[in-house]
Amino acid sequence: MIEVRGLNLAVGNFRIDLLDLILQEGGYNVLLGPTGSGKTLILESVIGLRNFQSGSIIVGGKEIQNLPPERRGISYLPQDLALFPHLTVKENLLYGLRAQKKSSGKDENHLGRLVDTLKIGHLLDRYPQGLSGGEKQRVALGRALAPSPQLLLLDEPLAALDPGLKSEIQQLLISLHRSLRFTALHVTHDLQEAYLLGDTITVLIGGKVEQRGKREEVFLRPKTIRVAQFLGLQNLFPEKVLQVEGGGKSLTVSLWGEEITLPSDHAAGRLSPGEDVVLYLRPEEIMILREGKPIKESLRRNILEGEVVRILDRGTHRWVLFQPAGMGFHLEIHLPNYVFRNLSVQEGQRIRVAMRWEAFWVIPR
Amino acid sequence: MNLGKTAVFAALVLFLFYVVLIFSLLTFFEGKSFLEVLLSPDTLFSIRLSLLAATIATLLAVAIGLPAAYALSRASFRGKKLVDTFLELPMIMSPIALGAALLIFFNTSFGAAIQERGILFVFEFPGIVLAQFATIAGLATRLMKTALDEISPRYEAVARSLGSSAWGAFWKITFPLAFRGFVSAMILCWAKAVGEFGATVTLAGTMAFKTETMPIAIFTALASADIRKTIILILILAGIGLSALYAVRFVEKRPQIL
Repeated sequence: MIEVRGLNLAVGNFRIDLLDLILQEGGYNVLLGPTGSGKTLILESVIGLRNFQSGSIIVGGKEIQNLPPERRGISYLPQDLALFPHLTVKENLLYGLRAQKKSSGKDENHLGRLVDTLKIGHLLDRYPQGLSGGEKQRVALGRALAPSPQLLLLDEPLAALDPGLKSEIQQLLISLHRSLRFTALHVTHDLQEAYLLGDTITVLIGGKVEQRGKREEVFLRPKTIRVAQFLGLQNLFPEKVLQVEGGGKSLTVSLWGEEITLPSDHAAGRLSPGEDVVLYLRPEEIMILREGKPIKESLRRNILEGEVVRILDRGTHRWVLFQPAGMGFHLEIHLPNYVFRNLSVQEGQRIRVAMRWEAFWVIPR
Repeated sequence: MNLGKTAVFAALVLFLFYVVLIFSLLTFFEGKSFLEVLLSPDTLFSIRLSLLAATIATLLAVAIGLPAAYALSRASFRGKKLVDTFLELPMIMSPIALGAALLIFFNTSFGAAIQERGILFVFEFPGIVLAQFATIAGLATRLMKTALDEISPRYEAVARSLGSSAWGAFWKITFPLAFRGFVSAMILCWAKAVGEFGATVTLAGTMAFKTETMPIAIFTALASADIRKTIILILILAGIGLSALYAVRFVEKRPQIL
């Protein structure tokens, strides 16, 4: 287990107070947060490039916060890669092994395997300046992993890449991690990148860990309104818990002037009657009903009638903006392309929608 | 006239201004006496003295200026702006004033104690070195800081994360990357030290075969109305200086790998 415990850090007016960060050993951990949330400060503290007021960093059961960067066993891959321009690719790859005086057969085998996996054998005698963007990424990854670090820190390494190369490097990171099982901490503000790469995701906002969990938990069940907003979630409605029933097994929440009773596992944490909450309706769980088709009993209570205001083609799905009749709000609906083609919905059309139970998620305010 | 042409015209005017100055010297130049003056013992002494003092002063300026430049480029510390400002003092202060300040310092009890128990500076060879050092140390630091500023600190951060100590990362990564900048800084400072007059003459005086550097030899030749010698000494000094500056252009031209 790799942990950051009780980190206290102040830079100008920005503060990080008692931050805890737990990384899954051998996992691909993503630290996700908007720009200015303190991600890089934490990363620099972990590497040993930044002093902090208090806190501890524990790697392999040992506290390493008082060790200099070179004795922490943590490799760092910055956004600009920082390949040493005066050294050949081979010298770049060997830099860590030489600095750490690692020259055993095992280390050489590891390097050879890396060179093969990264497909950079033909580049060894070249200088970084002559390499393509993808080749530079591969060499930088090889250099960082060559000394078999206890932790690999990646600071937004894909942020400046064009989409094609980004996708290629993402696939490379996934396959490399599957074959070598190194522990990674990948810092990013990119939601798609975090979802694709992260086994576990920690959401950092304003210097505070808002949520940590598996990717599905974070993206489908945000624990705080700040996480929901950062994830760009729409269909958020400020409501109130009216009742908690069955010893906490279900709760009744106000919804657009009416009531809806949900199982308690549809809520982020234990809630009390009277508590202000935000009800999130997942756009992909809202169904457009076909005219004349029988409706399941379970859906009958959650049906709305209204008009399709706008339809946008988002490539992977159709984005539909729905205006319920007589209501002062809009609902976003995400339709898979094949469903959209079957329904042949048009802007201005009057439709009925049903919200599955899976659509509801209650977040404390 | 468009902007580009105007700018090139201005550059050519400046170039011609200096070329005319040099060529005007040739009006009184006598080729036959050039070798005679150049090979005379006092001229050879002045050249040797200037080159030796400038080399020592430059090495001292780099030895102290490099760590100072590193601190100013990489570290943040209390009083950094004040230190940074003081480094520019020799650039805005008249060299004679700088030399006078040094002379006055060696007349204080602390300065006198250094002279009595250590090295003699006033009217001695170490005085030349000190005067030149005082003139170029700030410039050397400033130029080397500029060279370091061009090298991203992330190189060192990565090198350290890969297992290099702070010193190791500096010598293996930052130093080779900034090397050309350092060499340029050294050459420029050396050329400035060779041509230094005001502080040297104030602290070390104008003693022939003792403290008479090239610029001082020019001054004494002119003061004694020896125009022929003055011109030849100026041409020699200008030749040394221009060669050094031209060398900087080659050093700054980086090969393809960098």
